Amino acid sequence: MSRALVWVLALLVTLVAWPGAMTAQEAEPEAATPALQEVEAPAEQADDRSALTDPAEAELDALAAEVASGLRCPVCRNQSIVESNADLSREMHAVVRDRLAAGETPAEIEAYFVSRYGEWILLRPQARGINLLVYGLPLVVLVLGFFVARNRLRKWASAGDDGVAADRPADLGPEDEQWLRDALRES
Amino acid sequence: MKKTQLRWLLPLAALPVLWLLYWGMGRDTYVLPSPMAGLQAPAFELITFEGDTVQLADLEGKVVILNFWASWCIPCRQEHPVLVQTERTWDDSEVVLLGVVYQDSRANAERFLAQYGGDWTHVLDPSQRTAIDYGVYGVPETFFVGTDGTISLKKVGPVTWDLVQYQVDSLLAAPRAAASAAGTGGAP
Repeated sequence: MSRALVWVLALLVTLVAWPGAMTAQEAEPEAATPALQEVEAPAEQADDRSALTDPAEAELDALAAEVASGLRCPVCRNQSIVESNADLSREMHAVVRDRLAAGETPAEIEAYFVSRYGEWILLRPQARGINLLVYGLPLVVLVLGFFVARNRLRKWASAGDDGVAADRPADLGPEDEQWLRDALRES
Repeated sequence: MKKTQLRWLLPLAALPVLWLLYWGMGRDTYVLPSPMAGLQAPAFELITFEGDTVQLADLEGKVVILNFWASWCIPCRQEHPVLVQTERTWDDSEVVLLGVVYQDSRANAERFLAQYGGDWTHVLDPSQRTAIDYGVYGVPETFFVGTDGTISLKKVGPVTWDLVQYQVDSLLAAPRAAASAAGTGGAP
Protein backbone atom coordinates (compact mmCIF):
# COMPACT_ATOMS: atom_id res chain seq x y z
CA MET A 1 0.00 0.00 0.00
CA SER A 2 1.26 3.41 -0.86
CA ARG A 3 1.96 6.15 1.63
CA ALA A 4 -0.71 8.38 0.08
CA LEU A 5 -3.38 5.76 0.61
CA VAL A 6 -2.47 5.53 4.29
CA TRP A 7 -2.97 9.27 4.70
CA VAL A 8 -6.28 9.20 2.87
CA LEU A 9 -7.52 6.34 5.03
CA ALA A 10 -6.40 8.03 8.22
CA LEU A 11 -8.21 11.18 7.14
CA LEU A 12 -11.34 9.15 6.43
CA VAL A 13 -11.27 7.56 9.87
CA THR A 14 -10.87 11.00 11.37
CA LEU A 15 -13.81 12.37 9.41
CA VAL A 16 -16.03 9.49 10.46
CA ALA A 17 -15.13 10.17 14.07
CA TRP A 18 -15.73 13.92 13.69
CA PRO A 19 -19.55 14.17 14.06
CA GLY A 20 -19.41 12.12 17.24
CA ALA A 21 -16.75 14.36 18.65
CA MET A 22 -18.75 17.44 17.68
CA THR A 23 -21.93 16.30 19.40
CA ALA A 24 -19.92 15.48 22.48
CA GLN A 25 -18.45 18.93 22.37
CA GLU A 26 -21.68 20.90 22.57
CA ALA A 27 -25.22 19.79 23.07
CA GLU A 28 -26.71 21.87 20.27
CA PRO A 29 -30.31 22.62 21.07
CA GLU A 30 -30.79 24.50 17.83
CA ALA A 31 -31.57 21.53 15.63
CA ALA A 32 -34.94 20.97 17.26
CA THR A 33 -35.96 24.58 17.73
CA PRO A 34 -36.82 26.16 14.36
CA ALA A 35 -40.03 24.20 13.89
CA LEU A 36 -41.04 24.80 17.50
CA GLN A 37 -40.37 28.50 17.28
CA GLU A 38 -43.23 28.92 14.86
CA VAL A 39 -45.60 27.04 17.12
CA GLU A 40 -44.51 28.89 20.23
CA ALA A 41 -44.37 32.38 18.82
CA PRO A 42 -48.09 33.11 18.19
CA ALA A 43 -49.05 31.76 21.61
CA GLU A 44 -46.63 34.26 23.06
CA GLN A 45 -48.70 37.23 21.94
CA ALA A 46 -50.13 39.00 24.91
CA ASP A 47 -52.01 41.70 23.01
CA ASP A 48 -53.63 42.09 19.62
CA ARG A 49 -50.40 42.89 17.79
CA SER A 50 -49.84 39.83 15.70
CA ALA A 51 -46.58 38.34 14.56
CA LEU A 52 -48.34 37.65 11.26
CA THR A 53 -49.06 41.30 10.55
CA ASP A 54 -46.25 43.14 12.30
CA PRO A 55 -42.76 42.23 11.08
CA ALA A 56 -41.15 43.92 14.10
CA GLU A 57 -43.17 41.69 16.44
CA ALA A 58 -42.24 38.62 14.42
CA GLU A 59 -38.59 39.60 14.62
CA LEU A 60 -38.85 40.05 18.38
CA ASP A 61 -40.51 36.65 18.73
CA ALA A 62 -37.79 35.02 16.65
CA LEU A 63 -35.04 36.65 18.71
CA ALA A 64 -36.80 35.72 21.95
CA ALA A 65 -37.05 32.11 20.81
CA GLU A 66 -33.38 32.14 19.86
CA VAL A 67 -32.29 33.46 23.26
CA ALA A 68 -34.72 31.15 25.06
CA SER A 69 -33.42 28.13 23.17
CA GLY A 70 -30.11 28.60 24.98
CA LEU A 71 -31.71 28.61 28.44
CA ARG A 72 -32.32 25.44 30.37
CA CYS A 73 -35.79 24.64 31.66
CA PRO A 74 -35.33 24.42 35.47
CA VAL A 75 -37.91 21.67 35.90
CA CYS A 76 -36.98 19.45 32.94
CA ARG A 77 -34.09 17.26 31.92
CA ASN A 78 -31.80 18.92 29.40
CA GLN A 79 -34.58 20.77 27.63
CA SER A 80 -34.57 24.40 26.65
CA ILE A 81 -37.39 26.65 27.80
CA VAL A 82 -38.55 26.83 24.17
CA GLU A 83 -38.98 23.07 23.89
CA SER A 84 -40.59 22.72 27.30
CA ASN A 85 -44.30 23.09 27.96
CA ALA A 86 -43.84 23.63 31.68
CA ASP A 87 -45.56 26.74 33.08
CA LEU A 88 -42.28 28.00 34.45
CA SER A 89 -40.61 27.66 31.03
CA ARG A 90 -43.40 29.52 29.28
CA GLU A 91 -43.15 32.30 31.79
CA MET A 92 -39.36 32.44 31.46
CA HIS A 93 -39.79 32.65 27.70
CA ALA A 94 -42.16 35.57 28.28
CA VAL A 95 -39.58 37.20 30.54
CA VAL A 96 -37.00 36.89 27.76
CA ARG A 97 -39.38 38.51 25.29
CA ASP A 98 -40.33 41.31 27.67
CA ARG A 99 -36.70 42.09 28.38
CA LEU A 100 -35.86 42.12 24.67
CA ALA A 101 -38.80 44.46 24.08
CA ALA A 102 -37.46 46.68 26.85
CA GLY A 103 -34.22 46.99 24.90
CA GLU A 104 -31.95 44.50 26.64
CA THR A 105 -29.41 42.60 24.60
CA PRO A 106 -29.39 38.78 24.48
CA ALA A 107 -26.13 38.82 26.46
CA GLU A 108 -27.70 40.94 29.20
CA ILE A 109 -30.66 38.57 29.41
CA GLU A 110 -28.39 35.56 29.67
CA ALA A 111 -26.43 37.34 32.39
CA TYR A 112 -29.69 38.02 34.23
CA PHE A 113 -30.68 34.35 34.26
CA VAL A 114 -27.16 33.30 35.24
CA SER A 115 -27.30 35.73 38.18
CA ARG A 116 -30.54 34.09 39.36
CA TYR A 117 -30.07 30.42 38.53
CA GLY A 118 -26.32 30.09 38.11
CA GLU A 119 -24.38 29.15 35.01
CA TRP A 120 -26.30 25.88 35.02
CA ILE A 121 -29.17 27.68 33.30
CA LEU A 122 -27.12 28.03 30.09
CA LEU A 123 -27.44 25.02 27.81
CA ARG A 124 -24.20 26.01 26.11
CA PRO A 125 -21.41 26.34 28.67
CA GLN A 126 -19.42 29.55 28.50
CA ALA A 127 -16.01 28.97 26.91
CA ARG A 128 -13.82 29.94 29.82
CA GLY A 129 -12.14 28.43 32.85
CA ILE A 130 -12.61 24.72 33.38
CA ASN A 131 -15.37 24.75 30.74
CA LEU A 132 -12.66 25.02 28.10
CA LEU A 133 -12.04 21.33 28.69
CA VAL A 134 -15.46 20.61 27.17
CA TYR A 135 -14.49 22.48 24.04
CA GLY A 136 -10.83 21.54 23.84
CA LEU A 137 -10.80 17.88 24.81
CA PRO A 138 -12.72 16.55 21.78
CA LEU A 139 -10.22 18.30 19.52
CA VAL A 140 -7.27 16.87 21.43
CA VAL A 141 -8.78 13.38 21.29
CA LEU A 142 -9.45 13.85 17.60
CA VAL A 143 -5.85 14.81 16.84
CA LEU A 144 -4.52 11.97 19.00
CA GLY A 145 -6.90 9.57 17.28
CA PHE A 146 -5.68 10.73 13.91
CA PHE A 147 -2.09 9.86 14.77
CA VAL A 148 -3.06 6.52 16.30
CA ALA A 149 -5.07 5.67 13.18
CA ARG A 150 -2.19 6.75 10.94
CA ASN A 151 0.35 4.63 12.83
CA ARG A 152 -1.93 1.60 12.81
CA LEU A 153 -2.57 1.91 9.10
CA ARG A 154 1.12 2.38 8.41
CA LYS A 155 1.94 -0.81 10.29
CA TRP A 156 -0.83 -2.56 8.45
CA ALA A 157 0.44 -1.29 5.09
CA SER A 158 3.97 -2.48 5.79
CA ALA A 159 2.68 -5.96 6.58
CA GLY A 160 3.27 -8.78 4.14
CA ASP A 161 0.66 -10.55 2.00
CA ASP A 162 -0.23 -12.91 4.83
CA GLY A 163 -1.31 -9.99 6.98
CA VAL A 164 1.59 -10.48 9.35
CA ALA A 165 4.05 -7.66 9.72
CA ALA A 166 7.11 -8.55 7.66
CA ASP A 167 9.54 -7.55 10.35
CA ARG A 168 7.95 -9.90 12.89
CA PRO A 169 7.57 -13.67 12.66
CA ALA A 170 4.12 -15.09 13.24
CA ASP A 171 3.74 -15.78 16.91
CA LEU A 172 2.10 -19.21 17.00
CA GLY A 173 1.85 -21.31 20.09
CA PRO A 174 3.66 -24.67 20.10
CA GLU A 175 0.40 -26.52 19.45
CA ASP A 176 -0.54 -24.41 16.45
CA GLU A 177 2.95 -24.66 15.08
CA GLN A 178 2.78 -28.43 15.26
CA TRP A 179 -0.60 -28.36 13.55
CA LEU A 180 0.75 -26.14 10.80
CA ARG A 181 3.76 -28.39 10.26
CA ASP A 182 1.50 -31.46 10.00
CA ALA A 183 -0.84 -29.72 7.58
CA LEU A 184 2.02 -28.66 5.35
CA ARG A 185 3.47 -32.16 5.33
CA GLU A 186 0.16 -33.69 4.31
CA SER A 187 -0.47 -31.41 1.35
CA MET B 1 7.29 5.85 20.17
CA LYS B 2 8.06 2.74 22.14
CA LYS B 3 5.30 1.00 24.07
CA THR B 4 7.40 0.94 27.23
CA GLN B 5 7.78 4.70 27.04
CA LEU B 6 4.02 5.19 27.01
CA ARG B 7 3.24 2.71 29.74
CA TRP B 8 3.59 5.27 32.53
CA LEU B 9 0.78 7.30 30.93
CA LEU B 10 -1.82 4.68 31.80
CA PRO B 11 -2.02 5.26 35.59
CA LEU B 12 -1.84 8.98 34.86
CA ALA B 13 -5.03 8.71 32.82
CA ALA B 14 -6.81 7.28 35.87
CA LEU B 15 -6.05 10.39 37.93
CA PRO B 16 -8.80 12.63 36.51
CA VAL B 17 -11.32 9.83 36.98
CA LEU B 18 -10.24 9.34 40.59
CA TRP B 19 -10.42 13.07 41.19
CA LEU B 20 -13.93 13.17 39.72
CA LEU B 21 -15.03 10.32 41.99
CA TYR B 22 -13.49 12.03 45.01
CA TRP B 23 -15.23 15.30 44.19
CA GLY B 24 -18.57 13.73 43.27
CA MET B 25 -18.83 11.49 46.30
CA GLY B 26 -17.53 14.11 48.70
CA ARG B 27 -20.20 16.71 48.04
CA ASP B 28 -23.66 16.93 49.50
CA THR B 29 -25.99 16.22 46.60
CA TYR B 30 -28.96 17.59 48.53
CA VAL B 31 -27.49 21.07 48.45
CA LEU B 32 -28.36 22.85 45.23
CA PRO B 33 -25.85 25.60 44.57
CA SER B 34 -27.44 29.03 44.27
CA PRO B 35 -25.75 32.21 43.13
CA MET B 36 -28.30 34.22 45.13
CA ALA B 37 -26.74 33.85 48.57
CA GLY B 38 -24.86 36.99 49.54
CA LEU B 39 -26.68 39.14 46.99
CA GLN B 40 -29.24 41.85 47.51
CA ALA B 41 -32.72 40.33 47.51
CA PRO B 42 -34.56 41.31 44.31
CA ALA B 43 -37.31 43.84 44.91
CA PHE B 44 -40.91 42.79 44.50
CA GLU B 45 -44.39 44.19 44.84
CA LEU B 46 -47.03 41.52 45.40
CA ILE B 47 -50.68 41.43 46.40
CA THR B 48 -51.90 39.65 49.52
CA PHE B 49 -55.09 37.58 49.71
CA GLU B 50 -56.74 40.62 51.28
CA GLY B 51 -55.72 42.84 48.37
CA ASP B 52 -52.96 44.74 50.15
CA THR B 53 -49.63 45.42 48.50
CA VAL B 54 -46.44 44.08 50.02
CA GLN B 55 -43.09 45.48 48.93
CA LEU B 56 -39.73 44.17 50.00
CA ALA B 57 -38.64 47.76 50.57
CA ASP B 58 -41.35 48.11 53.26
CA LEU B 59 -39.72 45.32 55.24
CA GLU B 60 -36.29 46.90 55.43
CA GLY B 61 -34.64 46.55 58.81
CA LYS B 62 -36.41 43.27 59.52
CA VAL B 63 -35.34 39.72 58.91
CA VAL B 64 -37.48 38.41 56.07
CA ILE B 65 -38.22 34.75 55.49
CA LEU B 66 -39.57 34.39 52.00
CA ASN B 67 -41.21 31.01 51.58
CA PHE B 68 -42.34 29.89 48.11
CA TRP B 69 -45.01 27.23 48.50
CA ALA B 70 -48.11 25.66 46.97
CA SER B 71 -51.03 23.66 48.31
CA TRP B 72 -50.29 20.84 45.84
CA CYS B 73 -46.74 20.49 47.15
CA ILE B 74 -46.26 17.59 49.53
CA PRO B 75 -42.93 18.70 51.08
CA CYS B 76 -44.65 22.02 51.85
CA ARG B 77 -47.04 20.14 54.14
CA GLN B 78 -44.03 18.59 55.79
CA GLU B 79 -42.36 21.94 56.52
CA HIS B 80 -45.56 23.78 57.43
CA PRO B 81 -45.39 23.08 61.20
CA VAL B 82 -41.87 24.56 61.21
CA LEU B 83 -43.22 27.75 59.65
CA VAL B 84 -46.06 27.86 62.16
CA GLN B 85 -43.49 27.63 64.93
CA THR B 86 -41.40 30.32 63.27
CA GLU B 87 -44.40 32.65 63.22
CA ARG B 88 -45.08 31.97 66.91
CA THR B 89 -41.49 32.40 68.01
CA TRP B 90 -40.56 35.82 66.67
CA ASP B 91 -42.45 39.07 66.67
CA ASP B 92 -43.54 40.67 63.40
CA SER B 93 -41.46 43.72 64.22
CA GLU B 94 -38.31 41.61 64.06
CA VAL B 95 -38.95 38.72 61.75
CA VAL B 96 -41.42 38.74 58.89
CA LEU B 97 -42.52 35.45 57.42
CA LEU B 98 -43.96 35.91 53.96
CA GLY B 99 -45.52 33.08 51.97
CA VAL B 100 -45.41 33.37 48.19
CA VAL B 101 -48.02 31.17 46.56
CA TYR B 102 -46.43 29.49 43.55
CA GLN B 103 -48.42 28.09 40.60
CA ASP B 104 -51.53 27.79 42.70
CA SER B 105 -54.88 29.50 43.13
CA ARG B 106 -55.84 31.67 46.07
CA ALA B 107 -58.76 29.36 46.89
CA ASN B 108 -56.53 26.28 47.10
CA ALA B 109 -53.98 28.13 49.20
CA GLU B 110 -56.66 29.36 51.60
CA ARG B 111 -58.11 25.87 51.94
CA PHE B 112 -54.63 24.56 52.78
CA LEU B 113 -54.15 27.25 55.43
CA ALA B 114 -57.60 26.63 56.91
CA GLN B 115 -56.66 22.98 57.30
CA TYR B 116 -53.09 23.31 58.55
CA GLY B 117 -53.16 26.71 60.24
CA GLY B 118 -50.76 29.62 59.95
CA ASP B 119 -51.87 33.23 59.82
CA TRP B 120 -48.79 34.98 58.48
CA THR B 121 -49.05 37.02 55.32
CA HIS B 122 -49.29 35.28 51.99
CA VAL B 123 -48.98 36.89 48.59
CA LEU B 124 -49.87 35.71 45.12
CA ASP B 125 -47.32 35.57 42.31
CA PRO B 126 -49.67 35.24 39.33
CA SER B 127 -47.18 34.92 36.47
CA GLN B 128 -44.32 33.57 38.59
CA ARG B 129 -42.26 36.63 37.80
CA THR B 130 -41.04 37.00 41.38
CA ALA B 131 -40.21 33.28 41.51
CA ILE B 132 -38.13 33.60 38.34
CA ASP B 133 -36.51 36.75 39.72
CA TYR B 134 -35.47 34.69 42.75
CA GLY B 135 -34.24 31.77 40.65
CA VAL B 136 -36.85 29.37 42.02
CA TYR B 137 -36.78 25.84 40.59
CA GLY B 138 -39.80 24.50 42.44
CA VAL B 139 -41.47 24.52 45.82
CA PRO B 140 -40.76 24.66 48.65
CA GLU B 141 -37.92 27.14 48.48
CA THR B 142 -37.09 29.50 51.30
CA PHE B 143 -34.97 32.64 51.27
CA PHE B 144 -33.56 34.14 54.43
CA VAL B 145 -33.04 37.88 54.01
CA GLY B 146 -31.08 39.88 56.56
CA THR B 147 -31.97 43.29 57.95
CA ASP B 148 -29.79 44.90 55.29
CA GLY B 149 -31.74 43.19 52.50
CA THR B 150 -29.03 40.65 51.70
CA ILE B 151 -29.95 37.03 51.06
CA SER B 152 -28.05 34.89 53.55
CA LEU B 153 -29.38 31.52 52.42
CA LYS B 154 -31.57 29.92 49.84
CA LYS B 155 -32.96 26.61 51.07
CA VAL B 156 -34.30 24.31 48.39
CA GLY B 157 -36.70 21.80 49.90
CA PRO B 158 -38.43 21.80 53.27
CA VAL B 159 -36.83 23.81 56.04
CA THR B 160 -36.16 22.33 59.44
CA TRP B 161 -36.60 24.09 62.75
CA ASP B 162 -32.87 23.90 63.43
CA LEU B 163 -32.12 25.65 60.18
CA VAL B 164 -34.68 28.41 60.71
CA GLN B 165 -33.55 28.97 64.27
CA TYR B 166 -29.89 29.15 63.35
CA GLN B 167 -30.48 31.44 60.37
CA VAL B 168 -32.81 33.86 62.13
CA ASP B 169 -30.69 34.01 65.28
CA SER B 170 -27.53 34.79 63.36
CA LEU B 171 -29.31 37.32 61.15
CA LEU B 172 -30.77 39.08 64.17
CA ALA B 173 -27.48 39.00 66.03
CA ALA B 174 -25.21 40.23 63.27
CA PRO B 175 -26.32 43.85 62.80
CA ARG B 176 -27.83 44.27 66.27
CA ALA B 177 -24.54 43.60 67.97
CA ALA B 178 -23.43 47.02 66.83
CA ALA B 179 -26.74 48.80 67.36
CA SER B 180 -27.81 47.59 70.77
CA ALA B 181 -26.66 44.78 72.97
CA ALA B 182 -29.99 44.14 74.65
CA GLY B 183 -33.15 42.63 73.24
CA THR B 184 -31.78 40.38 70.54
CA GLY B 185 -34.35 37.82 69.57
CA GLY B 186 -33.83 34.17 70.22
CA ALA B 187 -35.72 30.94 70.37
CA PRO B 188 -37.33 30.20 73.73
